[in-house]
Amino acid sequence: MRTEKARKNIIGYIFSSPFLIFTLVMWLYPFIWGLIISFKKWNLISPSQPWVGLQNYIKVIKDPMLWIMIRNSVYFMLVFISLTTATSLLVALLIKQIPRFKGLFITGFLLAYVSSGVAYSMVFNLLFSGDGMINNFLANFNIKIGWFTNPKIAMASIGLIVCWKFTGYYALFFLSGLNNISESLYEAAKIDGANAWQRFIKITVPMLNPTFVMITVFATITSFNLFTEPFMITGGGPMDATRTMMLEIYNRVFSLLQAGYGSTLAIVSGIITFIFVWVLRQIIERDDIYE
Amino acid sequence: MNKLKKYKLPIIYFLLFVGLLFSLFPYIWMVLSSFKVSEEIYTQFIPTKLTFDNYSFLFSGGSGQQRNFLYGIVNSLIVSVIPTISVIFFGVLTAYAFRRLKIMGYKIYENFIIYQMLFPGVLFLVPLFLLMRDWGVINTYTAMILRYLIDPWAIFIYTQFFKTIPESLLESARIDGASEFQIIFKIMLPLSKTTTAIVALFTFMARWSDFLWPLIVNKEYGKMPLSVLLALFTKGGYQQYPGVQMAGATLLTLPIVILFIVFRKYFAKGINFTGLKG
Repeated sequence: MRTEKARKNIIGYIFSSPFLIFTLVMWLYPFIWGLIISFKKWNLISPSQPWVGLQNYIKVIKDPMLWIMIRNSVYFMLVFISLTTATSLLVALLIKQIPRFKGLFITGFLLAYVSSGVAYSMVFNLLFSGDGMINNFLANFNIKIGWFTNPKIAMASIGLIVCWKFTGYYALFFLSGLNNISESLYEAAKIDGANAWQRFIKITVPMLNPTFVMITVFATITSFNLFTEPFMITGGGPMDATRTMMLEIYNRVFSLLQAGYGSTLAIVSGIITFIFVWVLRQIIERDDIYE
Repeated sequence: MNKLKKYKLPIIYFLLFVGLLFSLFPYIWMVLSSFKVSEEIYTQFIPTKLTFDNYSFLFSGGSGQQRNFLYGIVNSLIVSVIPTISVIFFGVLTAYAFRRLKIMGYKIYENFIIYQMLFPGVLFLVPLFLLMRDWGVINTYTAMILRYLIDPWAIFIYTQFFKTIPESLLESARIDGASEFQIIFKIMLPLSKTTTAIVALFTFMARWSDFLWPLIVNKEYGKMPLSVLLALFTKGGYQQYPGVQMAGATLLTLPIVILFIVFRKYFAKGINFTGLKG
């Protein structure tokens, strides 16, 4: 029995060695390296990489751009989370009630989700452009909106198009959350005389809490990792209104060759994401859902 | 009350239908625009005359530059298919070692994988680029592919599935003289068709649409995947060709849309695991 265990152990380690080596080389090593670079001043090319201690971190925190980017991301989160929660919950509630063609509608709404970032950014860039389809339509009502050119609303517009992408995807999560709510809860509430709205607020919303938490966490991570959409559409403008951490890291490291500063920004961005996720979970997550 | 009930279902179907139209509108517009002449893109929703010029422009290599979109498609396939196969292979192999062979410390490894998945990818961008540069593989397929060959997420979902396979099945195979390697590929892999379909679908889609990493590690037009080629094409002085842009966007979107429609039933099954995918 002992030899059998040893045999399995040896074979098992042979099988998992590619993963273990890969993790050491492509994960742990770069992770530590990234930490080290963040304490150095380095332009990616020069052999001299002097240690500068916390200087990069102090620079990042003192840089007004950091706060602009946080503001942009929070703005995006507010628009994106509220819009997407509303649209996807609505879609899920509607799909839940239909007896036929459920799969067809789910597939239809999910098509947006599989579109690639570059492609749909290009499509919306043209649709929302100054003389694009949407503005041409709005011209009938004498409205013209600078979707991506007005600094006040550019980030909200990006929130809108990312909402387009994620509605079907999040609806699927809401749908599975809705399917987990026992029908007997609704029956009992009906007997107690609760109307449809009361049932929604007192049963559906609290029972969907885990889904809300999950979606908020995804959305937070999405908003801090936003890159393709602003890169393709606005390039971070107008007036830095759509500049995100990811975009800034890309610019700093690969255009300005500030490897140290960029690495520091990456770490700060990771920490900020973590803090936001943690705080939002404290606010939203409920342990005491009805048993 | 009864009257309301009678109309309830048709109203719901109607609302869903309108919602779906909104959701599909950008796709419809994209495909239609790719066949339009330039003047009609902003003014006409339905084109009055169809043209294939936009597509032929893309495939002719665009005004003499080495930007052939046919290469782009081939490159996209290379950087998508190789990681997909590799992720499945190493996913099965590693998950089997953890979950079925229960190697020493497997619980630690399994927990570690979950932490790995939750780790923000942004931390690895710069050092991984430097690693690729030190290895001298910048501007090669290797640089675009290497970091994606093994995916902890795939190992995770295979371990979840392997939990459900009874040990007696494996024992009887061992008594029949099957090697562990044979057990994996003759028993475990065929049993986990659904899991494999999920891994394949999500990995392929993620790689096909990947943008930032191939943008950073490869500057040669001949090796660029479609997403990068198209993005640089759009930003690099071709803004005045919206029809060509939409033809390119259609080329980039169509393969994954078809793939998704074919494998749609696995998508819903995989969704519970995708949350953890970074």
